Amino acid sequence: MKQSSIFEVYEEQKGKRRFLYTKSILKGNDVYGERIVNEGNDEYREWNPQKSKLCAAILNGVPNIFLRKGDFVLYLGSSTGTTVSHVSDIVGTEGLVFAIDIAPIVMRDLVFLSEKRNNIVPVLADANMPETYRERISLVDFLYQDVAQKNQVEIFLKNARMYLKKGGYALIAVKARSIDVSKRPGEVYRQVFNEIEKSGMKIIDKRNLDPFQRDHLMLFCKY
Amino acid sequence: MSYIFSNILGTFIIDNNLKIIDRVVYQHASDEKRLLLKHGAVKPDNDALKSILGVFKDRAYSEKFHSINLELTKAGIRDSVTDEFLVIEAVHAIDDITKVSNTLMKRFRGWYALQNPEYEHSETDNEILLGNVLKANTVKKEKISMGAHFSKEDIEPVMELGEKIRVLYRLRSSQEKYLDGVMGRLCPNVSEVAGALIGARLLVHARSLRRLAMMPASTIQLLGAEQALFRHMRTGARAPRHGLIVAHPLLVSAPQKMHGKIARGLADKIAIAAKVDYFRGKFIGNKLREELEKKFAA
Repeated sequence: MKQSSIFEVYEEQKGKRRFLYTKSILKGNDVYGERIVNEGNDEYREWNPQKSKLCAAILNGVPNIFLRKGDFVLYLGSSTGTTVSHVSDIVGTEGLVFAIDIAPIVMRDLVFLSEKRNNIVPVLADANMPETYRERISLVDFLYQDVAQKNQVEIFLKNARMYLKKGGYALIAVKARSIDVSKRPGEVYRQVFNEIEKSGMKIIDKRNLDPFQRDHLMLFCKY
Repeated sequence: MSYIFSNILGTFIIDNNLKIIDRVVYQHASDEKRLLLKHGAVKPDNDALKSILGVFKDRAYSEKFHSINLELTKAGIRDSVTDEFLVIEAVHAIDDITKVSNTLMKRFRGWYALQNPEYEHSETDNEILLGNVLKANTVKKEKISMGAHFSKEDIEPVMELGEKIRVLYRLRSSQEKYLDGVMGRLCPNVSEVAGALIGARLLVHARSLRRLAMMPASTIQLLGAEQALFRHMRTGARAPRHGLIVAHPLLVSAPQKMHGKIARGLADKIAIAAKVDYFRGKFIGNKLREELEKKFAA
């Protein structure tokens, strides 16, 4: 197990395959049935790129995910908390993850997770209406969005404008097929670039998530 | 100048340098007013709001954010459970029970036919067959039968299986009765026009009463026939006439020729009923149904 080029993310090379891990802040607990590796006094949870788009982006070679220990994170579309749990490992006990999702059924699993992990704050709300949770969260250093909505870019920009600090970083997992099934992904992506750049955000890096997720693009932006 | 800002942590008075100069933890509307009067603070505009939100980006508040949001979210999940969820679960339960009881019934028939194939062959209704076989001395074996002679020991497990299947049939009918009740409460009009089970299936397919109410009648007519509809659009095959509503008594008893017309009329009335139900109007289900029956009376 060695530190990878990305903060708080560890890696292991086995033959041709590269495995990623995060150091668990809560020992003796797996979140979604992932493999756990014990080394020294620490416990490392394997990060599955099929289940987590952030992990897929790292394996596809991004040099930096701009997420640091102690960061405050706004996570839109948290679902049951697979990726959230790894983000929670990365920011550590000093950071905080505000996890927003609209579906009560998946929120249930997230509540169980956040009862164990004190740095995950579950918020049952609609990310399309950021003003509805103004009283429930604070400004953040980092915005992560993974919602399969037609207007996902609009949602992303609205939340960034309201909650992301100046100079903060934002990641958006663009799902071409939910924005427009009939268009070619490349066309959809171009439309997304335009929309983001028009808002004054800077796109630093883009990364296709093939072969882990089809027709997905991870965009790294700076506010 | 100072700003007043309230969130789940409390109500705060924040000055120009973004320092908190006064606070009330666990706000009430009256607290906010009192602080407002005391400091003559103003509500922040959008620019100021962002810097104020930044004040709370502090580890000191993490624990409070966590615990209060956890409670609020739990309450939110609790309140999100509506009658629609109950209908969805009940419909799925009924479908599961039907599937399981049919599978077991097939096994029961095969097993029982070893000793009395003639009767098993002659009775096609599962529930009647089961009832008669389980009641002692009602089923007589033919004089010259293909059935083997079973010892008491060998009959017992067959009958035990039959008993359990009968329990499943009873469970199904009691769940249907329950579904009737919930549907009557949630959408009495749809339930009256379409019938509780079909109405519930439509509701499950539409995912919520709101979405069902917003649907045009032509969509409701073809709910559940998506595969056929898209095949029609793609290849020009014949268009489907009905989806889930095919099981409605009006359609079951009608001649094939009339199916399209009846399905359209029925879907129209269901669409009206769903809208009335969603906006909590009066009960007009019986009127809608009578109109339908009069129009399509054979």
